[in-house]
Amino acid sequence: MNVTSTPTVGGSVRSLPRPRRRRTDRAHRGITAAIFLSPTLLVIGLFTMVPMIMTIVISFHRWSMFTPITDMDFVGFDNYARLLNDSARVQAIANTGVYVLLSVLITVPLAFLIAMLLYFPRLRGRNVVRVILFATYVIPTIAIVIIWSNIYAPGYGPLSAMVQAIGLTPPGWLSDPQWALLSLVIFNVWQMLGYYVILLVAGLTQIPEELYEAAKVDGAGIVRQTWSITLPMLSGSLVFVVLMTIINSIQVFDPIYLLTQGGPAGSTNVVSFEIQRSAFQYGQAGDASALAVSLFMLIVLVGVVLNAILKVRKR
Amino acid sequence: MSRSRIRPRTLAQRTLLYVLLIIVAAVPLFPLYWLVISAFKTPAEFVSIPPTWFPTSPTLDQVESALTDVPFAQSMLNSVIIAGGATISVLVTSILAGYVFAKYHFRGKNLMFWSIVATMFLPPIVTLVPLYYLINSMGLSDSYIGVLLPWLANAFGIFLMRQFIMDVPDELIEAARMDGASEFRIVWQFVVPLIKPAVVTLAVFMFVFSWNNFLWPLTILRTEAMYPVVLTLNRLMSYTMSFDYQNVVIAGALIASLPTLIVFLISQRVFVQGIASSGVKG
Repeated sequence: MNVTSTPTVGGSVRSLPRPRRRRTDRAHRGITAAIFLSPTLLVIGLFTMVPMIMTIVISFHRWSMFTPITDMDFVGFDNYARLLNDSARVQAIANTGVYVLLSVLITVPLAFLIAMLLYFPRLRGRNVVRVILFATYVIPTIAIVIIWSNIYAPGYGPLSAMVQAIGLTPPGWLSDPQWALLSLVIFNVWQMLGYYVILLVAGLTQIPEELYEAAKVDGAGIVRQTWSITLPMLSGSLVFVVLMTIINSIQVFDPIYLLTQGGPAGSTNVVSFEIQRSAFQYGQAGDASALAVSLFMLIVLVGVVLNAILKVRKR
Repeated sequence: MSRSRIRPRTLAQRTLLYVLLIIVAAVPLFPLYWLVISAFKTPAEFVSIPPTWFPTSPTLDQVESALTDVPFAQSMLNSVIIAGGATISVLVTSILAGYVFAKYHFRGKNLMFWSIVATMFLPPIVTLVPLYYLINSMGLSDSYIGVLLPWLANAFGIFLMRQFIMDVPDELIEAARMDGASEFRIVWQFVVPLIKPAVVTLAVFMFVFSWNNFLWPLTILRTEAMYPVVLTLNRLMSYTMSFDYQNVVIAGALIASLPTLIVFLISQRVFVQGIASSGVKG
């Protein structure tokens, strides 16, 4: 018994053997696990999983957000049918698709090339460049929106001045329905690129040096080495970056809400903005939820396809 | 890490690569540069055509105006409360849950873990409507608790902590148990010090994420006195569309960006490495 032990000698007492009732007890370990996990399970269960189920349930009901939830009526697939007949919502889905596609097509190759530039040649200052690239990721989107809306500003904005300097007529950027969505994609790429570059540089460090040595002995040039070593060996990281780009851009909300409100002429209306507007401005929670479930299904589909691609590549 | 693959041999090659490197750095830097100089321009200079590339008569009026026209200091404090609270909570919940998922064995563990990880890919907009309904019916809308509650634990944190704690040797934990250390003490005294870089990474990531989170505070907060700085900026932005007010908004954007930028720059060595390994391990 350790009745005599006092706090002052606690340090040495700790190493003495003493009867352990608790440590080896599996039941106690189980209680510990439950205690350690409960805050997480409570928060994620209550505020992510339950709302997810509720979203699915609400999507089959008609419910105005301004009335109690007990007042909602079951309408089956009506909300989904209406979704497909509503040209604004169909356009929102199409715009989101274009936005995601353009984001992936610009971001992934660009991030790959920059990652190669930052990894392979021993250039002075490349670590500084990495930090600069990543800095745009930590700035609040609203601050970036404010900067870019001024950079895009007609007349006094620097971008138009630059385009004019090389003798071209600058487009209306955000105010031109043809350019607005692309302007938002450029904005997105600018903000997120650094993050993907870091992920890809990390992927490059995992490729064994010997592969390149062997390729060089065989007389393979840089293009050949990139094509037959770097790209296949990096495919895991590349798929991950594609997935993250899709997930991040499919839920774009802040710049749309802040800059264009979906305009001009609905050209930048996207799914997240349409969900928020349907629910919180028009109170149509059922329609908003049907759209939300559709977005969710799209993400699941993307995950399944990318997973299949990875499996095929591994074979 | 010895990398000898490409050593640019000729001067032309070296020059080309450095030019590319400078472009890669200039593109992210330019808008940031524009943010800083615009904040210190006079309204007249700000809208001059063609734009000036350096403020000719720098002034602090805009910064002052941004700080006083709206309760900016209060909203910075609100952001600190919200981002700080979420960060501390996510650190605690993620380390504890990560430890269990890394070192304990029980039936259904993997199913539970991967179900949690799956929520990482669920965009908040998908569950926004019911989440608003839930928090509202708990009587917590328009309160700090309501803003914080859904973000007190998250899947990315649990995933990151679990990956790193798996690398902590079991023998070390067993030895600590032999010495009679409680599980709680094992975590804080033995595990956490070993995964410090990952903990720092998660802390910075969560702080940045919560500081910048816009959609949820926008949904749940009504009282301006509780607005985080991103909402106050929104307020400032829609205050007036007049041109001579635009660079007051820019000055506000500059101030609102400083905390996350500073936190990032202080921790960048560890943070960039941590984000990198989160991808490799994922």
